[in-house]
Amino acid sequence: MNNVLAVAKRELKSAFNSPVAYVVILGYLLFTGVYLYFISGFYSLGQADLRGYFSIMPFVLVFLVPALTMRSWAEERRLGTYELLLTLPFTEGQLVIGKFLSSLALAAIAVALTIPVPLCASMLGSFDVGVLVAQYAGVLLEAAAAIAIGEWISSLAKNQVSAFLGTVLVLLALVLVDRVSSFFGSGGLVASLINWLSLSYHFDSFSRGVIDSRDLAYYVSALVLFLYLSSWGLNRRKWS
Amino acid sequence: MIELRELKKSYGGVEAVHGVSFTAETGSVLGLLGPNGAGKTTIMKILTGYHFPSSGQALIDGIDVAENPLAVKRRVGYLPESVPLYPDLTVGEYLDFASDARGLEAPARAAAIERAVSSCGLSGVYRKRIEELSKGYKQRTGLAQAILHDPPILILDEPTTGLDPNQIIEIRELIRSLGKSKTVILSTHILQEVEAICSRVIILSEGRVAAQGSPAEIGETLKGEERIRLRFRSSSAFDSSRLSGIPNLRSVASFAPEGAGVFAAELVMPPASAGAPEASPQKIEAGEAVFDWAVGQGIKLLELERRRLSLEEIFVKLTQEGSQEGDGK
Repeated sequence: MNNVLAVAKRELKSAFNSPVAYVVILGYLLFTGVYLYFISGFYSLGQADLRGYFSIMPFVLVFLVPALTMRSWAEERRLGTYELLLTLPFTEGQLVIGKFLSSLALAAIAVALTIPVPLCASMLGSFDVGVLVAQYAGVLLEAAAAIAIGEWISSLAKNQVSAFLGTVLVLLALVLVDRVSSFFGSGGLVASLINWLSLSYHFDSFSRGVIDSRDLAYYVSALVLFLYLSSWGLNRRKWS
Repeated sequence: MIELRELKKSYGGVEAVHGVSFTAETGSVLGLLGPNGAGKTTIMKILTGYHFPSSGQALIDGIDVAENPLAVKRRVGYLPESVPLYPDLTVGEYLDFASDARGLEAPARAAAIERAVSSCGLSGVYRKRIEELSKGYKQRTGLAQAILHDPPILILDEPTTGLDPNQIIEIRELIRSLGKSKTVILSTHILQEVEAICSRVIILSEGRVAAQGSPAEIGETLKGEERIRLRFRSSSAFDSSRLSGIPNLRSVASFAPEGAGVFAAELVMPPASAGAPEASPQKIEAGEAVFDWAVGQGIKLLELERRRLSLEEIFVKLTQEGSQEGDGK
């Protein structure tokens, strides 16, 4: 555990010593804020409801997460610190989890900084706190799964740019894929399989304030799968 | 102690190391010498648990690297050739990370950082960001990371590249003193470095051990001849044919008059009696023969120098022979 924290601490220090973390967090707040007040028409709705605000989160994460994870392994490769990390007394799993936690912490900071939004809105009308908790839990879970995917792609990519673009592409596909399920008829096996793969489909119930164990299981299994793939990839170097 | 047994490593069908065996004892500095692509870095990557051997064994203090890489990594300090640093961090933050990684706890931790910082001469840049440092300071920061936890095994891949001559002397001094209590392996292509700090040398060529021993031993085994360079003054007329009067002379490599009765020559002589000449005083050394000849001829010697075959020449000889063999296959 100490090793995991050592890796995460180093990552966060680097992130906050450079403009990257600030730019990404600021960009996230700016975009979601602009969306809420200007595009979604929060005031004209006449209702203290943030469902519209949270429903765009899957799309925002498509860009936020790659910006956080693109550096993770691609940058270590460029700096040569990849070799340092793998020759320090860390296991591959500790490295992968440490990096994952640092990106998740950055995402959590960004998401936590949006709390003033519901706080302000609560002055306009009564809010269901339970719904809000579910919505935030949904955002964090989806971010966690997306970060695991982004970290894995970064471990395969040659540089940061291709890590970013590759992750955007994969996340975008996973967010949008449920839109095509209607072509296969609703309720069919293919349609439900496609829906099951979609990141945004599983987010829907969270944004309505419902925590469904199936959605929870989806995010957790995606997270575990991709963290495992990253660490397996790191281990493969020994025999290549 | 480091032990390699018939170590082989291939990358995607290409064998980079073909069965290398050697041991490095505690309290010694072992130099790995060889042209690029000879397998030096591959061997170091295996010893640090970055790569696993394709076959054979690498043991560090008796622990098999492939079986227990974590235990090996704890005992090893490693400075890779690429000098891995995080440019966003300060030197202090970087060493802090290394201490976390090494699990150094509070009381020992500050002392370890202090020791590494002072022995690598980093106190002046401790709070500076690594990206602002010169190449020499970067190199020394990397070295500080490697020695931070006072490891019994130290593996340094080209540790003095990018340093200026004064820094090179300091770092060599540091490595030599570390080598008294630890096992140090360093790779280099600078031959004086090997002669300056290594107690043993392994010359690698094409993934094989081409020669090993102390720098002097390697010189000895390869020395097929002795070269004597001399300058002398002769009051009478002198031409090169008179040199043939020197006993045991093989050939004259060069002969040139310098004017005013001074001549310079380089002579090729058979090697001095095998083994140490001190041990067998009866045998005449090449220099001695030249001296006796000069006295007999009434010639005044101005300079007499025995040229030792340098490691550089040996290196070229060995590695070129190796690659010619390789071409022949």
